[in-house]
Amino acid sequence: MTADLAVQLAGINLNNPVLLASGTAGYGKELAPVIDLSRLGAVILKSVTVEPSRGNPEPRIWETASGMLNSIGLENVGIDALVGEVLPSLKDLGLPLIASIAGDTVRGFAQLGAKLESAGGVTAVEINVSCPNVEKGGIQFGVDPGATKTVVMAVRENCSLPVFVKLSAAVSNITQIADAAGQAGAFGLSLINTIQGLAIDAARRRPRLGGVTGGLSGPAIKPIALKAVWDCYRATGLPIIGGGGVYDSEDVVEFMLAGATAVTVGSAIFNDPARVVEIVEGLPDAIERAGASSAKELIGGLRV
Amino acid sequence: MSEPNGKATPAACGAVVIRTDEVARDVRVIALEIPQDVPVPTPGQFYQVDCGGGREHLLPRPIGAFDARSSNGVLSLAFLVESVGWGTERLCSLVPGDSIRILGPLGRGFSAAEGKALIVAGGVGLAPLHFLASSMDKAGEPYVLLAGVASKERYIAPLSTLTGEVQVFSDDGTIGENGLVCDAAGPRLSDGGFSKVYACGPELMMAVVAGAAEAQGVPCEVSLDSRMACGIGACRGCVKAGADGKNLCVCTDGPVFDSRAVKWTSPLNAPLGSNLKREFPERESK
Repeated sequence: MTADLAVQLAGINLNNPVLLASGTAGYGKELAPVIDLSRLGAVILKSVTVEPSRGNPEPRIWETASGMLNSIGLENVGIDALVGEVLPSLKDLGLPLIASIAGDTVRGFAQLGAKLESAGGVTAVEINVSCPNVEKGGIQFGVDPGATKTVVMAVRENCSLPVFVKLSAAVSNITQIADAAGQAGAFGLSLINTIQGLAIDAARRRPRLGGVTGGLSGPAIKPIALKAVWDCYRATGLPIIGGGGVYDSEDVVEFMLAGATAVTVGSAIFNDPARVVEIVEGLPDAIERAGASSAKELIGGLRV
Repeated sequence: MSEPNGKATPAACGAVVIRTDEVARDVRVIALEIPQDVPVPTPGQFYQVDCGGGREHLLPRPIGAFDARSSNGVLSLAFLVESVGWGTERLCSLVPGDSIRILGPLGRGFSAAEGKALIVAGGVGLAPLHFLASSMDKAGEPYVLLAGVASKERYIAPLSTLTGEVQVFSDDGTIGENGLVCDAAGPRLSDGGFSKVYACGPELMMAVVAGAAEAQGVPCEVSLDSRMACGIGACRGCVKAGADGKNLCVCTDGPVFDSRAVKWTSPLNAPLGSNLKREFPERESK
């Protein structure tokens, strides 16, 4: 018998737990010619801000050992274009869409939530309080329990969709921040965002990235992400979208054992966009190898 | 060119190495076969090439098509690769029979010239331009190709297979004319008779060629190079500043652009710490 892949993420039914991570999959459409998106559990769209943003200066990408640094800086079309153009064009994609929002003020987050409330076509909202590559907002909120709470409450007051709060693991105590998000009414957590890093061209004494520092992603951060998921699962019991360095089906199983209900694939799709579909295809076997017969049985099943 | 500016749906596929040849020091032509019916690239289009690094080296390398032809459902494809880092070194060490994974063809290629073209190549920037020139040879279209190399040992041998006029320049005078290829573009253009300029090479070289073309009122297309992650317009990692203040997405808007659409600056050449201020003055106010 093939393992049952369906999971329920804070009340949202997903055909399988494999999601595309925000930022790596654009607005969904870009990948549609290359892979069959309907095979996935959901897509988390690129973060949008209140106004369109040009993002950071180039170069924006640098490969590192088992990962990569990026300094995109939230280049995006803005909430109005997302609601007016992008979401209508994604109507027929055939899978749940999770929008991601990044305000640079609490008021901005409230506005973004309100616009998604009336937009339609979105199943849930990811609140990005952990982007390391912007000067205003971003991780400034996500390192502080009080600020995180204020942001989540502002979105919840303006938006009845399920909200997930995307956190950074580069904080002194992630469970405090996760707790604050939960108290403010977050349906769940999304863990983890990239971790700030720096790459240097020694011969030129220059940073490799135009934005000087960037966010580290890829297999290099997987152990950090797994621990963040495990810590937050035990401390809060909130539903978790886990991810960070996921490269194959086994990695998905590991994240679920640590406590994730759904798992994002991000940088690995750069290696090969089809990899995310292969991860879904390989999941039943990986679940059986872990001694389970369904994906949902794995959640938090780590034995210690 | 059969499909100028063509944008076929890219395909992910396995390619088998048929042969590799060293055509200059640290530069190889890698000939591949894809045994399935896949789109044929036009000159200027590129592929995301997986160098086989698995988890340790996640990112594919964007590499322009150097040659391509399709027959009996098999695509023969060649890349010109200079070994400059881990990924390109891996590609240069491939041997016949090896398999690699590629995604493409991606991006927008060169558009056709109506009349004689001036083609200006710097180093391995020759790759897409050699493909363009050999296509023009087949179509019987006239061009002059100016190829710049560092020295004799970096002369790229396949240049000799082109039937159009080819003039070689070297930085140290050990082969061809002594001098920079970009400096030769202006005088050549002022002779007149050119309807289009194509350039690919170091950014500064392309900037000089673009300036010369603009001064002569001749349209110029340049093929930009950039660090890429997705190659399909999703991640916005490869963007370059456009002349109109917007971002140019190299992988999908390009890699070939009208030279006037490009903002010709190189931020990392600026003094340390000035990047944000110079490129994004609106961010100074904090």
